[in-house]
Amino acid sequence: MYTLRRWWDRHALKLGLACLALSTAWLLRQTQSAIVFELYQRLTLPFQSVGPSQDDILANAQVQELQQRLTELDNQNRQLQKLLDYKATKPATAITAPVIGRSADHWWQQITLGRGSQEGVKVGAVVSGTGGVVGRVVQVTPHTSRVLLVSDPTSQIGVTISRSRYMGYLRGQSGNRAIMEFFDKVPDVRPGDVVSTSSFSQLFPAGLSIGRIESVDFGKSPAPEAVVELSAPLSYLEWVVVTPSTTFTPPKADAQANTPSDLQSDLQTDDLIPLVPTGLAP
Amino acid sequence: MTDLLLWSPYVRQLLNWGVTAGSVMVCLFVLPSRLPGMELLGVGPNWLLVWVVAWSIKRSPWQGAFAGLVLGLVQDGMTSPDPTHTLSLAAVGILTALLQKQRYVQEDFISVALIVFGMAVLAETVIAVQFSLQGSHFATQNTYRSLAEIWGYHQRIALSSAILSSLWAPVLYYPLNRWWQLVNNIEQTQA
Repeated sequence: MYTLRRWWDRHALKLGLACLALSTAWLLRQTQSAIVFELYQRLTLPFQSVGPSQDDILANAQVQELQQRLTELDNQNRQLQKLLDYKATKPATAITAPVIGRSADHWWQQITLGRGSQEGVKVGAVVSGTGGVVGRVVQVTPHTSRVLLVSDPTSQIGVTISRSRYMGYLRGQSGNRAIMEFFDKVPDVRPGDVVSTSSFSQLFPAGLSIGRIESVDFGKSPAPEAVVELSAPLSYLEWVVVTPSTTFTPPKADAQANTPSDLQSDLQTDDLIPLVPTGLAP
Repeated sequence: MTDLLLWSPYVRQLLNWGVTAGSVMVCLFVLPSRLPGMELLGVGPNWLLVWVVAWSIKRSPWQGAFAGLVLGLVQDGMTSPDPTHTLSLAAVGILTALLQKQRYVQEDFISVALIVFGMAVLAETVIAVQFSLQGSHFATQNTYRSLAEIWGYHQRIALSSAILSSLWAPVLYYPLNRWWQLVNNIEQTQA
């Protein structure tokens, strides 16, 4: 009894702290380290870049000219759509968010944004930057959100060749490249073709630009593959635009609560079934 | 040092744990940032691994494994719990403690850098093995990476992560080691 007492006197504090450390770590794991990212956001606040100044925008006359033309065409398009009584999804409000961090290990291609659920970011929202699609939000905390980049090997997206409409899916290849696998044996594709999200994609709205075909390997079995150069500069992202997903319905939303890993694996893969887009069905 | 000597042992121990936990927090905050000079081929140093090595180098394998478990859980939360980082970091903690470096080599800088280099390779390998097992387990699902991809990628990041981690290791190891030594000395003079 005495030895037990002495042991307890000597080790009580250590044991308590060890339990505290373990339970804290477990809590962090279960809450997806939300506290860490929140604190990180506060700490990096002074270092977050402010958006481009008005001068920068004005200096680039060509950008301005193109923007004006785009606005003009956008308006024309809207009027024509109104004339045709075209049913489009209403334009969703976009949130601009600074990129405040990269992946916390080397195996995942993720970024952390400085906007969270308080600003209206939801899990499943589409994230795009200058140049095209960047990825999808997989987790949000009150002031930060985590994005799985399209360059992550586990992120798969249904894509199409803009010119010939041949379909396939895109698999990330860490860095600025991705592999596009075709559904057809002999697709009409050549280097330089533009790749965009297809209407088969259930996670991304159709028609978002992804990148360009760099090279094609027709000999690949079971289906040809092409290397796609992603157009968004994923390594140099500073600001991105988060648009709430319109196509996404949370899988098993009404069923029991998902564990984080369940939800994540659901979000990573673009479910390419049904293969007939609703718009084209007879 | 004299100030610390006058403190009550409990307060001092709490301060010691505070410093330890604070250093972990610093590592966690540096992890998602890519500061200039800390990146090679898009890969940064593995700060949690450096911390685990610094912690376990003069401790028992159990303590090393425990530190690996705790930090692994936190990193799981920060990235993805599947595959887990606890296995790789716990293995690093155990092996580093088993090396018993201080018994053979007194010199601290280069030997620590070398240990970190080896452990970084080991940690990435443990994760790669987990990915491979996952791939065979869920062979029907396309979400998981192919074997060729995993090991090709492993070669790239294991090397750059090992180089960067070992180069940056002294930055973390030196102050932490000094602090733990100081606390240890005080405890021994008072005991």
